[in-house]
Amino acid sequence: MDTLYNLFPYIVNGISLGLLFALIALGFMLIVGVMELINLAHGSLFALGAYLAMVIISPDPSYFGPLGYWYISLPLGARYIVALVFAPSLVFIVGMGLEVCMRRTYGKDPLYGLLLTFGAAMVIEELIRVTWGSGEQVMKTPDLVNGAFIFAGLIYSKYRFFAAGFAILIILLVWLFLEKTPYGAIIKAGAHDSEMVRALGINLTRLRLYVFGFGTALAAIAGIIMTPIWGLRPHVGVDAVVPAFLIIVLGGVGSFWGAVIAGILVGLVVGITGAYASEWSLLSMYLLLIAVVTFRARGLFGKKSILEV
Amino acid sequence: MGKEHKRATQWITPQMLILFAVLISLPLWIRGVGLYQYLGVEILIWMIFALGYNLLLGYTGLPSFGHGAYFGIGAYAFGLSQFNITQSLLLGLLAGIIAAGLAGALVAAFISHRRGIYFALLTIAFGQVFWYASIKLHALTGGEDGLLNIPRPDIDLYFTEIPIKSNLALYYLVLIIFAFAVISLWRLVHSPFGKVIQAIKQNELRSSFIGYNVWFYKFLVFTISAAISGLAGSMFAMAQQSAYPDVMSLHASGFVVMMTLVGGGFVSFWGPVIGAVVFFLSRDLLGAATETWLLWYGLMFMVVVLFKPEGIAGMFESMSKKKSNENATKIATRVASLKR
Repeated sequence: MDTLYNLFPYIVNGISLGLLFALIALGFMLIVGVMELINLAHGSLFALGAYLAMVIISPDPSYFGPLGYWYISLPLGARYIVALVFAPSLVFIVGMGLEVCMRRTYGKDPLYGLLLTFGAAMVIEELIRVTWGSGEQVMKTPDLVNGAFIFAGLIYSKYRFFAAGFAILIILLVWLFLEKTPYGAIIKAGAHDSEMVRALGINLTRLRLYVFGFGTALAAIAGIIMTPIWGLRPHVGVDAVVPAFLIIVLGGVGSFWGAVIAGILVGLVVGITGAYASEWSLLSMYLLLIAVVTFRARGLFGKKSILEV
Repeated sequence: MGKEHKRATQWITPQMLILFAVLISLPLWIRGVGLYQYLGVEILIWMIFALGYNLLLGYTGLPSFGHGAYFGIGAYAFGLSQFNITQSLLLGLLAGIIAAGLAGALVAAFISHRRGIYFALLTIAFGQVFWYASIKLHALTGGEDGLLNIPRPDIDLYFTEIPIKSNLALYYLVLIIFAFAVISLWRLVHSPFGKVIQAIKQNELRSSFIGYNVWFYKFLVFTISAAISGLAGSMFAMAQQSAYPDVMSLHASGFVVMMTLVGGGFVSFWGPVIGAVVFFLSRDLLGAATETWLLWYGLMFMVVVLFKPEGIAGMFESMSKKKSNENATKIATRVASLKR
């Protein structure tokens, strides 16, 4: 019982981290599951979203004249919400641009799509480096979610709880969208039998464009939420894309709840390893993946996918 | 057909002789074109790395995005063997090959029954494990700084010792190893083994139906590829006299993918060689003009993937094909006019 009590904060941390991992993987999963594309630029778009949000929250007012000064005088919370809406929207557009480029690779070996997004990842990361420099940047967050609180004699960070709660909200919204709306039904049908969906008169090309954009916008949202925890530097994209694909492989390609459960599992493993060997905590998730995939080829809840061929 | 067969069994081809002639004469003119001697060493090392990598990507169709790890393991093995065992060049290079080969075999044992994307993603995971370990195992690897001041011992030929302190001597040593690597890889891909891995690239399922043990071939080709990467890595440590985690990162693994693909590894044995030259020339020439050369190189890579996945070698090939087609039509029209 005593060890459990000592472990409690690590477990709480692990679950909150896991929810965030699931949030990072969400957009990746959507694109993999629906379009059978691996978007290796996911991490770079994650970073791009965070950088854009940073600029939207605290822009240089002198560029915009009086309007800029009026905007900067708004409360931080309001600007944060503006950033949460506009930064993902901008990334949505970037993502759609990437999808248009991707079209040439459809119907070919999935390797080409993988290589293309790999190149895109590098280009976006370099663009970030050119625009904002290689150094560490700081994104302001509202005071409401900053600081710490004490529960049962232990200190917790408020922001982590806010982030975890936000992750749950987004995950639920995406699930509701996919399961309970006609749009979600069309998206899933498009993944299942694209020819039939086309025959029903649905513009699948445009649908795929939106789905890809939506997936990248989710990456941007995850980026904004993760920034106060992970910090903001151009390289952060790699830190994000690796857990994302890891969770997808672990949960199984094409399984929504598989990804969420895998995310929480990874978070828990990282959190609990952190209690015993903090140096090695990030390594544990790779070992978890290798262990699971050795015994279950398609991850925990995976279905057969064309990506295996 | 007969000619094709003859060429396939050759040990040394005309292209090889041209390449070697260019490389042997390189120290004479490299300064003349505004470059520097050490660049030659660097390019040769990465050529070996990319050639070894192409065994997987181009010949077997297996994308590995974590190959920097084996390069790095080779580099660390070279350094550690010099520090902890004895100072010997041969030992260092062998240590690099063996360490990376063992690591590759271990990874291959886990992932050889995987295909496509799952294979690619698992190579990233394993690559990250090694990269992470190289940073965290302070006592062994020196953490983020890596191993510094690795000695570069003389070549010990029993009767004489050849110092390789100068970049020129180093260049020729690397060139000799490069020549060995090229010839043996050429033989390997034109051997029955090479045919089987190319069959696996075309259709894994059918290859297994014919009766080949696909798992074993994938295992073997991954191990060989990792061992060659280790050789390149140990030479890198020898040339740089240091080994650090950067070369194991996802970025460095990406460089070799880009080189191989841009050069045309999918269609030509020489693709990776061309790719390494293009990569380093764009690094130095674009890098001199702009700080953001990687951005431009990345864009070029995307354009190649989209419009010409066969890469630069593929462009040459289609050009020469066009020419031969033109010749063929010329001959055909002439024949037709004669008949008339």
